[in-house]
Amino acid sequence: MPDPDDLRALRERLEEAKRQTEPRRNEAPPTSLGIAFRFATELIVAVVFGAGLGWLLDRFFHTRPIFLLVMFVLGAAAGIRNVMRAAAEINAKTKGDG
Amino acid sequence: MGESSMKMNPMEQFEVKPVVPIHIGHYDLSFTNQSLWMCIVVGLASLVLTLAVLNPRLVPGRLQSVAELGYDFVANMIRSAAGEDGLVFFPFIFTLFIFVLFANVLGLLPGSFTVTSQIAVTFALACLVILTVLVTGFAVHGIGFLKLFVPKAPFVLLLLLVPIEIISFLTRPISLSVRLFANMLAGHTMLKVFAGFVIALGGAGGALAALSVAPMFLIVAITALEMLVAFLQAYVFAILTCIYLNEALHLHEHH
Repeated sequence: MPDPDDLRALRERLEEAKRQTEPRRNEAPPTSLGIAFRFATELIVAVVFGAGLGWLLDRFFHTRPIFLLVMFVLGAAAGIRNVMRAAAEINAKTKGDG
Repeated sequence: MGESSMKMNPMEQFEVKPVVPIHIGHYDLSFTNQSLWMCIVVGLASLVLTLAVLNPRLVPGRLQSVAELGYDFVANMIRSAAGEDGLVFFPFIFTLFIFVLFANVLGLLPGSFTVTSQIAVTFALACLVILTVLVTGFAVHGIGFLKLFVPKAPFVLLLLLVPIEIISFLTRPISLSVRLFANMLAGHTMLKVFAGFVIALGGAGGALAALSVAPMFLIVAITALEMLVAFLQAYVFAILTCIYLNEALHLHEHH
C-alpha cells in the first residue's frame, strides 16, 4: 500500500508542474519582420479591396466614379482600423496580460 | 551573363503543370504537380505524426517529443488567443497549422513545388477559416453575431463605421491568404534569383567566377531565413484563425 501522505505530496507536485506548463501565455513573441508584414498586408489589402469593390459597383450601376471614390476612402479607413486592431493585439501579447 | 540557351526564369518554379491530364467535358481536371505535392504534404504529415504516436512511451523519443511539442504549441496558442472554449477547434487549427507548415518547409527542398505559393490554395484555406468563423458566430450568438459590425459609438457615426467594419471583416480572408502566398512567392523567387547569380558569375569565368562564392553564401543564409519564415507564416496563419474564432465565440468581450 502506498503511503497517502506520499500520494498527497505527489499530487501537489503534479499540480505545481501543471501550473507551470499550462498557462504559458505569450510563448512565441512575433518577430519585427512578421509584424511589419502583417501591418503592410492589412493596410494594402483593405485599400485595394475597397477600391476594387467600388469599381465593380460603378460598373454595375453605371455611376463611375462615385462608388470608386467612396469605397476607396472607406477601404483606407478599414485598413487603418485593421492595423490598429493588429497593433492592439500585438501590444496585448508583448505586455503579458496587459 | 551565362549561356543564353539556359534561360533563367525565377518564376518558372511556380508554374502549375499537368502530371496526368484529365479532361471532362470543357473542364480541365488534370492531376497537376500542385495536386501531387499536396498529396505528398498530406501523406508525409500523416505518416510522421502517425509514426510519432504509434509506439508511445512515457519518456518520449525524438519523434514523439516533436509531436508532443507541436501539440502543446498549438494547444497553448488556442488557449491564449481564443480561451479554453476555443479548444473545441483544436483538431481544425492543428490540421491547418501542420498542413501549412509541411507545405512551406517541403517547398524549400530543391526541385519541389511549394503548394502555399499558389493564391488558389491559400485563398481556399482562408475561405474555410472565415466560413468556420461565420458558422460558429451565428451558431453561438444567433443574429446577435451581427453586433460584431456595430462598435460603441453615437448613431450618426454608425452610418460610417458599420460599412468600415464590414469592409474590414471582408478583407480578412484576403489578407490572410495574400500574406502567406506573398511570403512564399517572394522568398522562393529571391532564392532562385541568387542561385541564378551563382551560375551566371561562374559561367563568366576568370576573376568573376571566384566572386560566385558570395551569392552562394547568401543563398545559405537566405535558406535559413526562409526556414524561419516557413514556420512563422504557419504560426501567423494559425494564430489569426484563433483570433478570428475568439471574436466569433466571445464578440467584443475581450476588450
